[in-house]
Amino acid sequence: MSFDTQTKLAIYRHFAETGQRPSLRVIAERVRADVSSVREAYARLRAQRVLVLEPDGVSIRMAPPFSGVSNQHVVIVDETKYFANCAWDSFGIPAALHRPGRVHSRCEQSGEPLSLEIGLEGPPPCSWLFHCLVPAARWWDDIVFT
Amino acid sequence: MLFFRSEERVREWCAAHGYPMRPLVTMDQLWTLATTWYSTRLQENSRRPQPDEMRSIFARLGLADDFWDPHSDNFG
Repeated sequence: MSFDTQTKLAIYRHFAETGQRPSLRVIAERVRADVSSVREAYARLRAQRVLVLEPDGVSIRMAPPFSGVSNQHVVIVDETKYFANCAWDSFGIPAALHRPGRVHSRCEQSGEPLSLEIGLEGPPPCSWLFHCLVPAARWWDDIVFT
Repeated sequence: MLFFRSEERVREWCAAHGYPMRPLVTMDQLWTLATTWYSTRLQENSRRPQPDEMRSIFARLGLADDFWDPHSDNFG
């Protein structure tokens, strides 16, 4: 397995196990490498669009579907609390973990809360809607806004 | 990428912010997108769908207009 893949899996598994973003040092320990090598791997993973970093180049903003920062998209799986990057990613966390979970979010216009139990086969019948403002060809121009 | 209670709430939100209204996606469609993108994300061989695959995935869900085309420069 390549070093970049080891690094990516270490990041994702940390998110899966804890619900929180790992520090650079934690990942370096997990892959048994020095922090400068891991930092270089972060940059390559960013170029592959599997990570989004804060301006410091080491703090993980997104490892989709996991979010490194808190927001309105909360997912509970097996009593662990996760933040998702968006509505799509809130469904992506139970999908990635292959576990049932509960998605908490809101209607962005009215503020009405959404609480939806997601089973292994997906959500129950539900009339809520998903709206994406940015065209697919532009998603990565500013992925945080998207 | 946000949740809304109804099409009317989407319309109000777009009008309030001066945004164009985009194609709407149901919760069943969203689950299919989520599983397609992320069900292997914690595995060694995971990879993101490439643009041509994305177009096929969206088309199978009935999301076939230019808005969902990762190569398009015509968004309607």
